[in-house]
Amino acid sequence: MIVNILVGIGVAFFGFVLQTSTAGVNRKIVGRLQKRYGPRWYQEFIDIFKLLSKRSVSHGWIFDFGVIMALGGVIGTAMFMPITSSFVAFQNYDNFFIYVYLMAVGMLGMAMSASGSGNPWASIGVMRALTTMLAYEVPFLIVVLTIINISGTSSMTEIQLFQQAAGNNWFIIALPLGGIVGVISLMGMLGKKPFETYIAPAEIASGPMVEYGGKQLGMLFILHEISAFIEISLFVHLFLGGATNIVEYLIKYFTVYTFVNLISNVNGRFKIDQVVTFFYKWPLLMAVTQAVIAIYFGWVI
Amino acid sequence: MASIELLILFLVGTGIVAYLLTKLNTTLGSIFTIFSVMFVFISLASYGFNLGLNETVNIIPGLTFTQTYLGFYFAIIIVFIYLMVSFFHPYYLDDYKYKDSYNLLFLLSLAGIIGAFYTDNFLQLFFFFELIIWTTMFLIPQGKSREAAVTYFGFSVAGSVAMLLGIFMIYQSSGTFDISIGLASLNGTTSIFVFVLFLIAAFSKLGIFPLHIWLPIAHGNAPHPFSPVLSGALVKLGAFIGVLALIKIVPATGVIGVIDMHVGQYIVAILGSLSIVFGTLMAIKEDDAKKLLAYSSMSHGGYILVAFSMLNSVAFAGGFYHILAHALASAGAFMAIAAVARATGTTKMKQLGGMIHKMPITYLAYLIAIISMAGIPPMGGFLSKWLIFQAVINKGMILVAIAVFFGSVGSFLYVFRPLASLFLGQELTEYKGVKEAPILMLIPTFIIMGLNVFTGTFPGAILKYINNIIVELGYAGINVTSSGIVDVYSGQGVLNPTLVSMVFGTGTLIAFLIFILLKKSRKVDLMDTYTAGNFVHDEHLLHYSVDFYAPLERLYEKQSNWMTKFYDALALKVKEIGKFSKYLFMSKNIGTTIFWIIAIIILLLWGEVL
Repeated sequence: MIVNILVGIGVAFFGFVLQTSTAGVNRKIVGRLQKRYGPRWYQEFIDIFKLLSKRSVSHGWIFDFGVIMALGGVIGTAMFMPITSSFVAFQNYDNFFIYVYLMAVGMLGMAMSASGSGNPWASIGVMRALTTMLAYEVPFLIVVLTIINISGTSSMTEIQLFQQAAGNNWFIIALPLGGIVGVISLMGMLGKKPFETYIAPAEIASGPMVEYGGKQLGMLFILHEISAFIEISLFVHLFLGGATNIVEYLIKYFTVYTFVNLISNVNGRFKIDQVVTFFYKWPLLMAVTQAVIAIYFGWVI
Repeated sequence: MASIELLILFLVGTGIVAYLLTKLNTTLGSIFTIFSVMFVFISLASYGFNLGLNETVNIIPGLTFTQTYLGFYFAIIIVFIYLMVSFFHPYYLDDYKYKDSYNLLFLLSLAGIIGAFYTDNFLQLFFFFELIIWTTMFLIPQGKSREAAVTYFGFSVAGSVAMLLGIFMIYQSSGTFDISIGLASLNGTTSIFVFVLFLIAAFSKLGIFPLHIWLPIAHGNAPHPFSPVLSGALVKLGAFIGVLALIKIVPATGVIGVIDMHVGQYIVAILGSLSIVFGTLMAIKEDDAKKLLAYSSMSHGGYILVAFSMLNSVAFAGGFYHILAHALASAGAFMAIAAVARATGTTKMKQLGGMIHKMPITYLAYLIAIISMAGIPPMGGFLSKWLIFQAVINKGMILVAIAVFFGSVGSFLYVFRPLASLFLGQELTEYKGVKEAPILMLIPTFIIMGLNVFTGTFPGAILKYINNIIVELGYAGINVTSSGIVDVYSGQGVLNPTLVSMVFGTGTLIAFLIFILLKKSRKVDLMDTYTAGNFVHDEHLLHYSVDFYAPLERLYEKQSNWMTKFYDALALKVKEIGKFSKYLFMSKNIGTTIFWIIAIIILLLWGEVL
């Protein structure tokens, strides 16, 4: 058990390093896209370690406690994440709903801490973040319902093995409509444009982040990277057939992140009510259509 | 050896003593009430688990009792909530107008509860139901409004009348009032009628769409210590009737092939889903903290109903576990709000703020309760929702799934609202003198906090007990080990709640180490925040709490009150009919009256001839 927990901590650390580097490389890619040089690929690491080393302010115990709870919840979630179909810290216990709901405890901690700062911008940001969550989760969960119903398991490893088995396609091909919904929901989860309404630096002063500095902000950066790792890994495992070895995983991971990042960079920002109406119109409709086709008619490519 | 009959008589007796003591001194009477309820709880807990209570009846004629795992499960949860809430009485009763009778009615309604869950006879069930309704009806108006009691009573009576009608139909077809024989004997059209009538009773108690209007009115206006009982305990009576109707009656309706469900059960699942969605949307919009929690009860009632309508053991396990988890979570949340209301005198969220600095323990109690209510690990609500999700996915019920997922994510939104605007945010000047709740009120708070965590971390024993109920209902128990590892649908989902809690703990430990090893931060005031260069001196201006989810609310603002409008219109129509019949029958003209008397006599005689 101790070994498993240590492996889990290793996975969380690996996720942090992987996502921070990927994000760094992507900053360079976007820079080139906009005819800039862009920062060095390890700039994100420098930012985080600089923040962690600085002296900061605190607005009371809940402000600190919320940050700890948030980072703890997200690290805990990452510990359950399989890297490939044969490498996972806790065999058999990598149930899909753990990722969604254990990460929610992290989000709750962050929301709590932000509201505890007493800054109205933070509360507005939290309100927007929760509203966005209400928007993207439902279509995404309907697609996952289809996947679990077809593959007969909600374990992430088993879902990967199901797609890798001979005769089965990756779910992004087997369930094309669901795949599109998956991509859109992933952008919502990652807070990429056009769904980055809750950060909106020019509008609500970075929303939940407004009061943070120093180590608290550094920890929230770590939280952000690890949760991005969880979300992208979920997408890779659910829709792209997972991975049989680490190289395949890294390639898929990098491709997915770069792809959504490129899409987001040519988009503007939705208003918060537009986010809700958007997700409850086309993605939900597509998700339900896909579910009906796949579950009731059994038409899976 | 505790006897069921003696427990009921004990509660009636102590009720009268409590009345006299409360008349003498409120605190004395309330403490006596605590000990009476504690006695009943301990007797139930020590003999009831293995159905070891004495069923014989010696004193009250005509009553018969029987013990089932199902009845005990409900009874112990409800008695526990009563016990926890009774600790609040000494601090609240003095404000009430008819405080002498409060403890009496409280204990009498508990007697009704024990009777209702241990009876094997429909007429007794009805009698005890009425006892509960009539006693609680006099408790509710001691709070803010009398109208609340009327609404509660109206909906409850509609439910009981429907149930009575169902009971008579069962008697007509089977010739017995015995519950198990009566329900088993139903077939054909009668089964459909009884099914519908019993479900009306269940819906009205549980507050399911479209009979949900009374929930926010009654919960919101009830006395503060009574709201936890209403939401955590009394609405579960509806779940009990729902279990009887959904599982024991098989209505003679068709079966939907693709999802393998009876039409009757599917309609119930859809109505449950509607109440999940309505409850969630209304709770997001609500400004009164107690009404918000009332709407959340409505939404959770929907989950319970969806679970029992699916008719398989995983869903049942989810439903039963949800009854426990929601009772604990809802009681915890309502008790925290009650403590705040006692200290500040209001439950309106827009008037409150920054209570965490004065009442940190109450805040923690609320936090743990809402984590469970939102279905987030490591609390009990996660496990029950997880079981329900797995069942819904296995059945492939897409429409129901939308509601179930929507309610689950939506609950993050509404439970966070009181957290943000009532407990967190700026510390408002008018509440600088507020103090933490007294120690006697913190005892139940701590117990409920502990149980919320326990149900989410070590569910093994409880799930095994629930398996007894499921077997008793005629289904195979679910696959669970004593350490709490649940395996549903042979590998569709495996969950180890203990591991989840442990890993969460490890993560938090790492985060804590990172935090503590870095440089210590400087403590600053709450008003010392970024305001884009403006000087804001007033806490109220920096406290974001009015219309918290305004952009979201705007999307369904127009549709939000059409159910209320419908009931208003219905009430108007009923009044009009009343006026019309008054005009016809209650005339001052003596000739009209005599005409009606003669007409009715002729009609009666004519009916006799036919």
